[in-house]
Amino acid sequence: MSDLDRQIEQLKKCEPLKESEVKALCLKAMEILVEESNVQRVDAPVTICGDIHGQFYDMKELFKVGGDCPKTNYLFLGDFVDRGFYSVETFLLLLALKVRYPDRITLIRGNHESRQITQVYGFYDECLRKYGSVNVWRYCTDIFDYLSLSALIENRIFSVHGGLSPAISTLDQIRIIDRKQEVPHDGAMCDLLWSDPEDIVDGWGLSPRGAGFLFGGSVVTSFNHSNNIDYICRAHQLVMEGYKWMFNSQIVTVWSAPNYCYRCGNVAAILELDENLNKQFRVFDAAPQESRGTPAKKPAPDYFL
Amino acid sequence: MDVETDEKELKAAGAEPLSDGRRGLRIHGWEIESRKRSILNSSEHQLWEQKLQTSHLPEMVFGKSSLVLKHVNSGIKIHFNAFDALNGWKQEALPPVEVPAAAKWKFRSKPLQQVILDYDYTFTTPYCGSETIEIYTDYGRGEISQRTCNLHWEDCEEKIDVVSLASKEPILFYDEVVLYEDELADNGVSLLTVKVRVMPSCWFLLLRFWLRVDGVLMRLRDTRMHCVFDVSANPILLRESCWREATFKTLSAIGHPSDPAAYSDPSIISQRLPIIKHKTQKLKVPDNL
Repeated sequence: MSDLDRQIEQLKKCEPLKESEVKALCLKAMEILVEESNVQRVDAPVTICGDIHGQFYDMKELFKVGGDCPKTNYLFLGDFVDRGFYSVETFLLLLALKVRYPDRITLIRGNHESRQITQVYGFYDECLRKYGSVNVWRYCTDIFDYLSLSALIENRIFSVHGGLSPAISTLDQIRIIDRKQEVPHDGAMCDLLWSDPEDIVDGWGLSPRGAGFLFGGSVVTSFNHSNNIDYICRAHQLVMEGYKWMFNSQIVTVWSAPNYCYRCGNVAAILELDENLNKQFRVFDAAPQESRGTPAKKPAPDYFL
Repeated sequence: MDVETDEKELKAAGAEPLSDGRRGLRIHGWEIESRKRSILNSSEHQLWEQKLQTSHLPEMVFGKSSLVLKHVNSGIKIHFNAFDALNGWKQEALPPVEVPAAAKWKFRSKPLQQVILDYDYTFTTPYCGSETIEIYTDYGRGEISQRTCNLHWEDCEEKIDVVSLASKEPILFYDEVVLYEDELADNGVSLLTVKVRVMPSCWFLLLRFWLRVDGVLMRLRDTRMHCVFDVSANPILLRESCWREATFKTLSAIGHPSDPAAYSDPSIISQRLPIIKHKTQKLKVPDNL
């Protein structure tokens, strides 16, 4: 058994790698990812997965439902880390699979794959807690800069973490972005990872926060038409039913973190496309409590004032 | 119940757990129950949007979760739920808060036609609980009529007895219920929760609205309620509201960290946020019931 296969087996048991192993793994991953396009080509059949957010045991459920990699070809739409308890193990397992089977798993970048966001929402603290230093966080966030920004399945389905950008009308405009950087606060790359479809606007909308685009049905129609694609598949937003179509089936949101934050009670979904691009959503629940490493967290009675 | 309270302890305090798998207990004429359910599904979400006449709700609305405290003899019912809280948000309708990136966005080229949404995405609410009196009159032959009327709170000089609450009486029942939560699209957190503890001599609860807009501001709206068990027909309830707020700018000017990661839990900063509103009130039960 090679070192990499052994590491994959170890990660599948939710045991993190040594710091030196993470460093070596990230170096190998970088060599693969740097070759990928900003619009990475993906062949069908493929199974598309949305946000995971460090919910390692729920991702194991996902693999139970979708089948193991490399037997199943996977496309993950980002947001591997933050919020959940096991961002380290989750991201490293996906990265190790990427290095082992580069043509059977595609990882694209979500808005949480960023230095700034991970310092606020959990991944940074988790690395510090599990390794006693921030080196692993540094290796991983350096790798985030190399992740592709989107994928194109059989030239017909465009996949991205967040959504569209008013600065982008053709896929070629995505191809020329220099992606090897921290996610910027504005511009096309930021929009692809952050924007959301919105029912109440038809064209473009600006979030009340003063930053962040919302896009309506007509924006999607014209994007799909000019790029000759059937529909857009994205993640980024929690949907209670695991997936949600909008604008006459021109865009679908896929969400793959069941019982999000361990309290929402939602189901998750993955989208399976066969060789003819026929769709099947596979909906799944969170891992049963007894299969998780840690006991259920009960709120400890506290003498709050 | 979340906490395995000693059966003996409950009995000694004259309390009994609720039956049928319900979480809570009966004690000195009160029935206290917490319900923790899933977030609303898409169709329920839509229904709430219609009812509240809004096109935006928090990402996670725990619409079927609640905390209910009922005084059986008087019919007084104090309860906490997401719907009433969101109604309060809708009424207050604060102007939106701009995130730090907004400054940069003002200079970016915009699409020709752009709608600027302007609702209060922080879901800030003045909600401090719901209360009614439910009076059941039994006319016999199984005929029961229910009359509800509203209660109101009067400003008062009394204060919640924090000293007695600090004494470590055994906690017979404890729970925390999330009513709604939003991640502000990864720009912070908006969270409304209520937690309760029931001791042999009283119950005490804290309803907390916590908002952190990263790099911009923190807002805390706390409502505390306290009821000491006694034998009178109408129980005495005190309610204290305390609103606190500060910008990251003013906090960092007085030496606090400006990094949002330092404020993952409001208790870290709560005592140091300046108070902008404070009042104590007493529940007024109408005499003509």
